[in-house]
Amino acid sequence: MNVILKIILAVYKFFVGDLVILLGITLTMVILALIHFVGALAPLRGGLGLILIVGVLATLVATLGREVMRSENKQKA
Amino acid sequence: MQWAIVIAAFLAASVEFVEAFTLVLVAGITVNWRSSIVGALAAVATLAVIIATLGVALVTLIPIGVLRFVIGFLLLLFGLKWLKNAIQRYSGLKFLHDEEAIYAANLAQARARGEAVGTRLDPFGVLLSYKSVLLEGLEVAFIVISFGSGGSNGIGLAAIGAAAAGVLVILVGALVQAPLQRIPENTLKFIVGIMLTTFGTFWSGESFGINWPFSDLFLLLLAAFYLVVSVLLITAIKQHQQRGASATTASEAPTLSQEKEVRL
Repeated sequence: MNVILKIILAVYKFFVGDLVILLGITLTMVILALIHFVGALAPLRGGLGLILIVGVLATLVATLGREVMRSENKQKA
Repeated sequence: MQWAIVIAAFLAASVEFVEAFTLVLVAGITVNWRSSIVGALAAVATLAVIIATLGVALVTLIPIGVLRFVIGFLLLLFGLKWLKNAIQRYSGLKFLHDEEAIYAANLAQARARGEAVGTRLDPFGVLLSYKSVLLEGLEVAFIVISFGSGGSNGIGLAAIGAAAAGVLVILVGALVQAPLQRIPENTLKFIVGIMLTTFGTFWSGESFGINWPFSDLFLLLLAAFYLVVSVLLITAIKQHQQRGASATTASEAPTLSQEKEVRL
């Protein structure tokens, strides 16, 4: 069990190493997939590119925001 | 007609080769050349096996959309991680790497262990090079098959055009790599972060059927856009840090004067 966990952790650290980035990009892809495959969301298909770029930038801002907050908390402590 | 096939394949394949070679170059400069070349050669071997096994049926059997999605997704993860670290260093949230000191320390450690320096295989470098060459190589194969299937001996002619494009891109790349190695580490990582994020966005978008404006040229526009946003983020974080630092100094000042009063 310990070995499996270590492997999962090593794979996670190699590919991502940042939970905010993983969640942000996964969420963006899920939203794109929904718009792409669900018929009711077809009117949004023209904006897929924009949604993807906004999702990527929002993820970057979120992960940097977390680092800024961490740094502030460290300074306060 | 036959020249048209060669030229069309040459032009279309050049774009794909430039995209693949850019990431091979990036892996070579930022990680090490051994990892980058091993990754690229492994991808060429995989491509050779795929093409030898499937031949012309390749176009119908390989789901290029799925491949684009997987590679685009991974590039976005890698790219954002690199970009985030570079932005943190530029804005002062993280210390800039003292590259020469780190290099000297690594050199001394490796020599003490009796290892050759900078030649160990790095999984990130191998994977980055492998997946970019595999994806773009498959796209070149698709180009050769689709351009060449029109006329007699068309595939051979299209393959000549694509091969010429490959040789040209490698030659230009070999000339360009020396000046690139003189760029400071964090600047290079910042550029790489932007490039990986750009390619990741582009390929994962294509997997969802997005037709980017200006086709492959959109990569340049997207990279420029990400660059501008990143510079704005660095400026914003720097200003925020400065404000935080001056607020801390201001709050500490009364405490210091109170201490003086107590002492008096």
